Amino acid sequence: MAELLRMENISKCFGSFYANKDVTFDVREGEVHTLLGENGAGKSTLMNVLVGLYQPTEGKIFMHGREVQITSPGVAVENGIGMVHQHFMLIDAMTGLENIILGDKRHDTPLLREGDDRKTIEGLMDRYGLEIDLDEKVANMSIGMQQRVEIMKVLFRGAELLILDEPTAVLTDLEVEGLFEIMHSLTSEGKSIIFISHKMREVMRISDRVTVLRRGESIETVDVANVTEQELADLMIGQKFQESTYPKVEDAGEVAFELKGVSYRPEVKHGGLKDVSLAIHKGEILGVAGIDGNGQTPLAEVVTGLVKPESGEVYGPDGKEIALFSPRSFIKAGLGNIPEDRNKMGLVGDMTVAENLVLKQTTSDKFSAGHGKWLKMGEIHDYANKLREENDIRCTSVEQTARSLSGGNQQKVILARELEGEPKLLVAVYPTRGLDIGATEFIHNQIVAQRDAGCAVLLISADFDEVLKLSDRIVVLFEGQVMGTYPGANPPIKEISLAMAGK
Amino acid sequence: MDGFITALPTIFKAMTMGAVPILLAALGEVFSERAGLVNIGLEGIMAVGAFVGFAVAKMSGNIWLGVLVGMLAGVLVNMIYAFCTVTLCADQVVTGMAINVLAPAIALFGYNLFVGSNPANATGEQMASLAIPGLSQIPFLGDALFNQTLLAYLAFILVPVVRYFFHHFRVGLSFRSVGENPHAAETLGINVVRTKYVACIVCGALAAAGGAFLTLCYTPIYTDGIVMGRGFIALATVIFGRWTAVGVLAASLLFGFFDGLNVALQAQFQAAPVMFFKMIPYIFTIVALIFFGSKHAGPKANGQPYFREQR
Repeated sequence: MAELLRMENISKCFGSFYANKDVTFDVREGEVHTLLGENGAGKSTLMNVLVGLYQPTEGKIFMHGREVQITSPGVAVENGIGMVHQHFMLIDAMTGLENIILGDKRHDTPLLREGDDRKTIEGLMDRYGLEIDLDEKVANMSIGMQQRVEIMKVLFRGAELLILDEPTAVLTDLEVEGLFEIMHSLTSEGKSIIFISHKMREVMRISDRVTVLRRGESIETVDVANVTEQELADLMIGQKFQESTYPKVEDAGEVAFELKGVSYRPEVKHGGLKDVSLAIHKGEILGVAGIDGNGQTPLAEVVTGLVKPESGEVYGPDGKEIALFSPRSFIKAGLGNIPEDRNKMGLVGDMTVAENLVLKQTTSDKFSAGHGKWLKMGEIHDYANKLREENDIRCTSVEQTARSLSGGNQQKVILARELEGEPKLLVAVYPTRGLDIGATEFIHNQIVAQRDAGCAVLLISADFDEVLKLSDRIVVLFEGQVMGTYPGANPPIKEISLAMAGK
Repeated sequence: MDGFITALPTIFKAMTMGAVPILLAALGEVFSERAGLVNIGLEGIMAVGAFVGFAVAKMSGNIWLGVLVGMLAGVLVNMIYAFCTVTLCADQVVTGMAINVLAPAIALFGYNLFVGSNPANATGEQMASLAIPGLSQIPFLGDALFNQTLLAYLAFILVPVVRYFFHHFRVGLSFRSVGENPHAAETLGINVVRTKYVACIVCGALAAAGGAFLTLCYTPIYTDGIVMGRGFIALATVIFGRWTAVGVLAASLLFGFFDGLNVALQAQFQAAPVMFFKMIPYIFTIVALIFFGSKHAGPKANGQPYFREQR
């Protein structure tokens, strides 16, 4: 196979910080080449250099053996390079068609020629098996279809090299299969793909070669055929990596929290709960498995007191039925909550790490005088530094904004806040979404440690492996209903995955 | 009631006359906000357009030269706004407010130089009305719609032109994308910064034309503060008109109608204080904003500065 792209000794600095340092790698025609690395290893920066969004501080880029200067995204397009960004670059208020033809320069007429372009796009849709509703507004499309619009955008511009930046992070398992099929049909037509991911299993399955990045440097390029998952993980982490397994609890304590026949907007298939009954015991982790959007969000909202169920009964840690649904009363009763979206619900991004750490205790005598009227900043600072050390939160100072931390460290801040004061019930929703292996391990260890200390844990995750790894019991949600409860030790995986599909 | 019906043609006439300056400024603002720039400096730009248009027309005796130079002055003033908000990424509201303080002061300075203590100097040229034969004879509406100055006709013709531009022109589509998601636009090779500057040029020119209309078509007598909050009303009509050309037309006609009503009511109830009736169009604007002022409807990236290498 001929070489399509070569990036040679690329460096990119932001101030004194090297996001990429001396990175070299190449892509051949018709191959899937994976860039593998932890969060902050420099994958996205490198790709932003390749598509002309950033200018490299040093280094050269070759396409078909010819050196090219990619000074702007437009130049990248002219060279047949197209990127599907992790956070979609789509305009919600426009239709699929408008998004695809936006900024395209094939016609030199000042007027749009939507009819002609539609025909071209429909031809491409057939050829690569991309199903898109061209007249629907992007805001109303599923995530999977939005991604197909993104892919079509680069195909329409005649890309030979497609960059897919963590394309599976937002997809359901079924949608991932669809994406992989599209990737196969692309490479069989001679297109090349740079695939960015840190999910080892996907990488092993879909790639031809892998280049490992660590702390902004390229470590090694290997053929997937000659390497094991373990070896790749070691290369990525930079040390021998052993994924831990946790002993499962089978004889948990008494019931700490219970739902009986709870319904919340049951008429909504993908955002409601229908007659849900489940009990969480002290000292166990109850895992909720299911494909994203089958009632996980309302379940989390009910057990954290954000919404009141329309019917059914909820019993709290003291065994009494809960009448008042407010987050404050739930927190008082001993709730710790790792919410679904750490940026929107877990942290106040523009406030400092220290401030975020005491958010739940601002009225306590320890941190304030006069029931929250006057904050004791010194106490807060010392306390934050203590939690920072205990939880290995990596930041230059606890006075920096929470937004400036990496995802893993943000999650550690939330965890530190929520676990302080020994919660009776811990609700963890997608606790490791988008985190690298190291941070994921840390979070998992902390959750299991809480269980061992006697806390009842409700784990809601779309990552089936995570549910299997941590849960002592597993319930499956499908369209807002509980499909069944399964043991966490030697779980019947086949049965569970059938239940997740509603069978 | 009979008095009201006989007053209708006058009200309609005042409606179209009152709508034109607001329509022009609001169309300019539509360009600006579609490119993500909230420009509350319309009031100031209109003031400059009004004075420069008046002064140049009076000195040269050529009204269209007045309109043109007035528009040019508006563009120049708006370039201050463009440089601050696009290149320096300054806060758009603060910069717009600065324009509103600066530009009327420039106009007042010019007024003092030009008119001084001689009130005869404050009376300037007026554009002649062109009655369209036949159509202008239609009862009630004929005089209002088809007996206008050329500048007013141009303003109304601009409405379908702007609409067509945003929906059928390649550039129009790019324009909208810049206001919705500039990062996405940039990845597609659209020059975001240039688009925003172009938007500011169009906005400055149209808002100043709206100002010039006041002194060259609306009234021949120049007074300081002649814009009288119309720039802010134009801002409101953009929201009320849902950032579309047709919506803006409807909203400014509605404002013009209440403006006309105020004049008619003043004539009817001469005992009542004038200020009471003068409030009507402004009260209407506030009420309209209460019902239609939802923040979520406009271009998504409206009002946000755009940094290119943002991590």
